[in-house]
Amino acid sequence: MTFVLDDLLINPWISLARVLQSTAIREAYDVEAIQDDIKENQLLYEIGERSEEEYRERREELELELEVAEQARENLSGRVEVKR
Amino acid sequence: MTANHLYTYGIIEQEDVEFDIDGVEEADRAYTVDHRTLSAVVSDIDALEPEQSDANLRAHDEVLGEIMNSKGGRTVVPMRFGMVFKGAGPLKNVLRGSRSVLSRTLRDIEGTVEMGLKLVAEEGATINREAVREDVAERLADVSVEEAENGRFSDRLVVNRSYLVDRDRREEFDAAIEGVEDEYGESTIVRYTGPWAPYNFVDLEIGVDR
Repeated sequence: MTFVLDDLLINPWISLARVLQSTAIREAYDVEAIQDDIKENQLLYEIGERSEEEYRERREELELELEVAEQARENLSGRVEVKR
Repeated sequence: MTANHLYTYGIIEQEDVEFDIDGVEEADRAYTVDHRTLSAVVSDIDALEPEQSDANLRAHDEVLGEIMNSKGGRTVVPMRFGMVFKGAGPLKNVLRGSRSVLSRTLRDIEGTVEMGLKLVAEEGATINREAVREDVAERLADVSVEEAENGRFSDRLVVNRSYLVDRDRREEFDAAIEGVEDEYGESTIVRYTGPWAPYNFVDLEIGVDR
């Protein structure tokens, strides 16, 4: 939490807003989590728990999500500093 | 007009090879481009960046499988999907520049194949995951050369590992896998795959001077 406190001491409102926004962006456009979902979808299809139709539908959804997330990250990088 | 680019599947010890394939971007012939002791297995391609479609990924794998399993079994350093060169000249330059590391890698993985093992928890099954992982690792350690831990991208995944296995010891390895199936086949789905080219045991950064 040090970074939050440091930021707050300097400029409380802007910094807090920035931290919250960064967190929201990370969660909404979590590229790695979507990639994991794509692999899980493939796995469930391979072990027969998802039909080919279900697998294809889900994959299309996830690929679209991934595209949006990657694009969003690219567009936002540089504008929002994600602090860890 | 054909672009005359070369799609590269993998590197083998120098050998003239030519065979029919269902290759990447529907290529129908694989052949070799040599530099001294090394041969790159390639097919002709128009695109510089082939699409990562299921068909293309499968074709890449199948051609590697064909190289590995024909003629009594070859050792191959697999290229990752999508390595395209603008012609034989640039490809030979890469072979020249990477010759020592490629030769060393070929020696390191000589006579081996990669096998994959996943244990996927049955829905609702109660499993001591850590104990299963340790036991499986122990059962397979003596019959493999090396193991590589792969990501557990799903909560259902208990084990996700790749094993480098000597071709000569495949039967022993298969028997050990049967033991794993006997022990954990009720609480998990055991997914045993391969042989693959040793993707997970080759760590090469080859500069692409197309």
